[in-house]
Amino acid sequence: MTVRENKMVKENHRKNKQKLSRGDVIFNICNYTVFILITLACIFPFYYLFINTISDNEMVRLGQIQLIPKGIHFENYVQVMKIDGIIDALFVSVARTVLGTVWTVGGCAFLGYLVTKQEMWLRKVWYRLIIITMYFSAGLIPWYMNLRMLGFLDNFWVYVIPGLVSPYNVILVKTFIEGLPPSLEESATLDGAGYTRVFISIIMPLITPILATLCIFSAVGQWNSFTDTMMLMPSGKFYTLQFLLYKYQNEASSLAALVRNAQDANALANISTKQTALSVRMTVAMVVTFPILLVYPFFQRYFVKGIMIGAVKG
Amino acid sequence: MKKKWPILLLAVLTLAMFFLPAVTLHVHAQLGEETAAAFPSSLSLWDMMTKGSKCLPLDLVPQMGYLSFGSGLLLAGCILLILGCIASLIEKRGCAQASIALTACAAACFGTEALHISNLASSLMYTVLFTASAPLFLPLVFTAAMLILEVVFLKGGKVLLQDDRTLRLISGVLAVIGLLVMLLPVYTVSVPETITASPADAKALNRSTNLYAIMMGNEPNLYTEATSQSVYADILSGDMLELEKYSADANNIKGIFTIRNNTTTMNAYLLGGAVLLALAAVLAFIGKVDRWFPVAFQWVAAILLAVASLSVLTVGGQNDMYASASRQLVTLGLGAVTPVPFLAVLCALGSALAGTMGIRYANEPYFVNPIPAASRLRFVAVVLAVVSIACIILPAGTVSFSKPGKNKVQAAVEISGVDALTFSSAGKLADPVTSKGAAVYEEEGDFSAKVVNEATGRMAGTYNILTWLALALTVAGLVLLLLRKNRKLGIALFLAALVLRCVTWLVMTYTLPKEVAVGSGTLWLYLSMLVLVFAAFFTNFVELDELPKKYKLFLMMLPFLVAVFLFSYLPLYGWSYAFYNYKFGVSMDQQEFVGLKWFTEMFTNEANRVNIFRVLKNTFGMSGLNLLTSWLPMIFAIFLNEITQTRFKKFVQIFTTLPNFISWALVFSFAMCLFAMDTGIFSKFMEAIGAVPKDSHIVWLNSSEHIWLKMWGWNTWKGLGWGAIMYLAAIAGIDQELYEAAQVDGANRWHKMRYITLPGLLPTFFVLLMLSISNILNNGMEQYLVFQNPMNKNSIEVLDLYVYNITIASRGTTLYSYATAIGILKTIVSVTLLFSANFASKKLRGESIM
Repeated sequence: MTVRENKMVKENHRKNKQKLSRGDVIFNICNYTVFILITLACIFPFYYLFINTISDNEMVRLGQIQLIPKGIHFENYVQVMKIDGIIDALFVSVARTVLGTVWTVGGCAFLGYLVTKQEMWLRKVWYRLIIITMYFSAGLIPWYMNLRMLGFLDNFWVYVIPGLVSPYNVILVKTFIEGLPPSLEESATLDGAGYTRVFISIIMPLITPILATLCIFSAVGQWNSFTDTMMLMPSGKFYTLQFLLYKYQNEASSLAALVRNAQDANALANISTKQTALSVRMTVAMVVTFPILLVYPFFQRYFVKGIMIGAVKG
Repeated sequence: MKKKWPILLLAVLTLAMFFLPAVTLHVHAQLGEETAAAFPSSLSLWDMMTKGSKCLPLDLVPQMGYLSFGSGLLLAGCILLILGCIASLIEKRGCAQASIALTACAAACFGTEALHISNLASSLMYTVLFTASAPLFLPLVFTAAMLILEVVFLKGGKVLLQDDRTLRLISGVLAVIGLLVMLLPVYTVSVPETITASPADAKALNRSTNLYAIMMGNEPNLYTEATSQSVYADILSGDMLELEKYSADANNIKGIFTIRNNTTTMNAYLLGGAVLLALAAVLAFIGKVDRWFPVAFQWVAAILLAVASLSVLTVGGQNDMYASASRQLVTLGLGAVTPVPFLAVLCALGSALAGTMGIRYANEPYFVNPIPAASRLRFVAVVLAVVSIACIILPAGTVSFSKPGKNKVQAAVEISGVDALTFSSAGKLADPVTSKGAAVYEEEGDFSAKVVNEATGRMAGTYNILTWLALALTVAGLVLLLLRKNRKLGIALFLAALVLRCVTWLVMTYTLPKEVAVGSGTLWLYLSMLVLVFAAFFTNFVELDELPKKYKLFLMMLPFLVAVFLFSYLPLYGWSYAFYNYKFGVSMDQQEFVGLKWFTEMFTNEANRVNIFRVLKNTFGMSGLNLLTSWLPMIFAIFLNEITQTRFKKFVQIFTTLPNFISWALVFSFAMCLFAMDTGIFSKFMEAIGAVPKDSHIVWLNSSEHIWLKMWGWNTWKGLGWGAIMYLAAIAGIDQELYEAAQVDGANRWHKMRYITLPGLLPTFFVLLMLSISNILNNGMEQYLVFQNPMNKNSIEVLDLYVYNITIASRGTTLYSYATAIGILKTIVSVTLLFSANFASKKLRGESIM
């Protein structure tokens, strides 16, 4: 769009604005109000939780912090970091997010590339075999017993390895690659590049938009999942942050003990910064949220792109 | 000038990590409370660096002094790191390279130290137990990140050590250093004089051992030595008390010293690693050698050394708890381990990395395949044939004997190809249980020992013949391959061997009477089948230069197919549980077959029926609510589209999508805060508008009232904005000319929304609706799991959650078969629904949704 056109569009807008009828004004007011309310409803819980973690703990307990933080302190965060296992859980969460994302996205990208190759032996059969798995599942118990049989119980790699092939992602990548001009690949093949070389040097750079989308979905999924820890880690190894959060919500009694353990003698004296089960829960929740809030704005623009590609053919 | 602040930030972070607690200490109660109080509850890296081994109260427990913490290494790491930082800031030629080298050394120091300490932490100590926590490794992580950044910054300018010659020499030098490092001591054993009868005895045991000594099997076997000198006798009888206070049970200590060395595997690893490293060092200095060879050697050596190092230093593995006496001494605090093995590994790794980089930057062709193109495929086929011969010789089956009518396995016998070749498998299988308690089958009527022996004898005979034949066929195929003769016959031979292996498997599994013995194939048996298939496959192409493309692609695809099979198709095998009365820990052959009992039980058993109908009601209720309101995102999108101010529109879109990206556990945290009894904002709000009296103690969140509505509300809160994105995308795809034409015809805003946008979105809406109808039973369990509590359980339990609750959540249950049956029905219903939806879609819109 040239600058002039831009100007024209803007002028058009202005004209439109001038022409607004009374009905339009009322409509606009209502519309804006509703959307502001919806947006507020979406943001407010985050804000509410946050002010409750940085406010005076005694006031929080009494329910006096509703809209504005009072008696701001950051002792909660310092103390939560001292709880046994939190830092390790953070470590496990980060490790599974990073490794799991790289593994899944790498695997699905390469597989998506392979299934576009018409010359593969029985390509259609294999492709369908992979895609069909999207529509059925063996159920919770067979899934659990299978992982148990394969030795994945109490094993960190259960977070990573089973995610290698995700049919939906494979379809996305395949659709995307099919939209690329085939001439690029042909010229590289003429230069003597093998399939792997073509994939790494030519296809990968071209499919980065879809890979970025897959990365976000996979990373968020990994970061957020806690039921797998709950079922597959019976002896309490490799807990993730999300699972600890879930656990703390359910086990008020053990949490209180934890709080007592984590407490310094000095901190005990000051009631406003003293840890309560409530404050620990909320602070852990906030700790879990921060990474998402930090990363979210940077990747937000990829969602729309990704979902549009996905909408083409589900 | 490039921005260097991330490097500085990382360096500062690295140093900051030194102050976090890296190791937590748990002091044994036997030491007494006073002594225990003198120990710090945790140690940071800073403590270890500044105080060394003095960071623990040595005067109280002198033995702990031997666990020196390598403060020197940490200090060196810090200094190197700071130097590296300074170097990276100086904008001069070569400084960036220097900073990379310095940072790499720092990372090596931190890494060695972290491994060393974590290894100590994993060892079992009677006095003090360490548990390592994440900050121990964080300096390494941050330094590694720094290193990566430095390399990235460098990439824009001059690339480090661009020519392969320098890198090759570096890799050679590092390999030599790695070999030299192996001369340094790995253990130092120094027994305090106080705990032996005479000082001379203690002295006789003091020594330091290096990796070469361990490798050559010269690791002093302290147990043998001590028994010959009767030194331990003194410890154990004389000054036992001295040690006893560290252990709850005196037998522990005795037990430790009565277990001897078993380090053959470890020695083999070490030997292999050292030999390969030496070879690589020699090759690296010779100019005209294919670069891939030394690099491959270095990588393998690094892996071998790493495995060996871990087993050299790890105490308390699962199988050999006390593999070596000297390690035990270290564990008891009578000696010290050093990080030397890890240093050797790091050197090997470094040399491998340098070698790999050399290949990366090489100007001449760096890979010359020594096998000529014409015989490459033949080579692969030969290797596969040899491997399959090896697999045939390895154990093929296990036979586990149990008493008739009992599930408990009395004895398990493994028979292998070697037994078959020597015709000894029948002997191995005969009377396997007699040694364990004299002829268990004698009194059992039909299954007397004679009958059992006859059965096993028959099986062993068949197995012998089959294995002999399979081997003969495979060897014949191999010979044909080597003689370059008759490709087709070779394939036939391999396939015939494959058939024999399959028959072997059948014989193994089905010939023995189930009541007394159960046979099963081992991994090697299955592997031999697989390898034979591939041997036949490659034999087909031995006369070609290259594998045809279609098969090449298929081979690339194979790992993915295996993964799909393992994680998606193999679980289907678990459906068989539904037809058995499944019990944990009992092999599938001995489970009780109950037919369709569990399926009928669902509806005939009163309690089960009530439960099933209850959870089905919940499932349909909550899914139904979501289905009924599935038009909400569409309306949301349509109205959002009416907002002309782009920035506001974006703002709304960003923030309404956010809830989709948080987990249900987190949503529940929000709910708990907002709707807390009396103190939450919702409660306060209701008080303020006078809907409820003050301090009314109304349980907003956990009560079972309106639980479906509440669940619907949270689901909508989480999914509304996200669901709208797809519709917004669809709106963007509607032809703008339609709107313009409508404008000309005098349509107002409502008309446009009603007659253009809405019809434009209906196809998308329809597809999504169909998909959610087919998913009506799979409403997931996470949401309901986090919101579930004893009060609302009855009305929140959906099918998935119910299955989880009655099985995995309640440990030791026997309902696994029942739950599997439910799962099967659920899958069948879901798939049927999906196909019906697809069919409906095809009929109505002429387009499939799958």
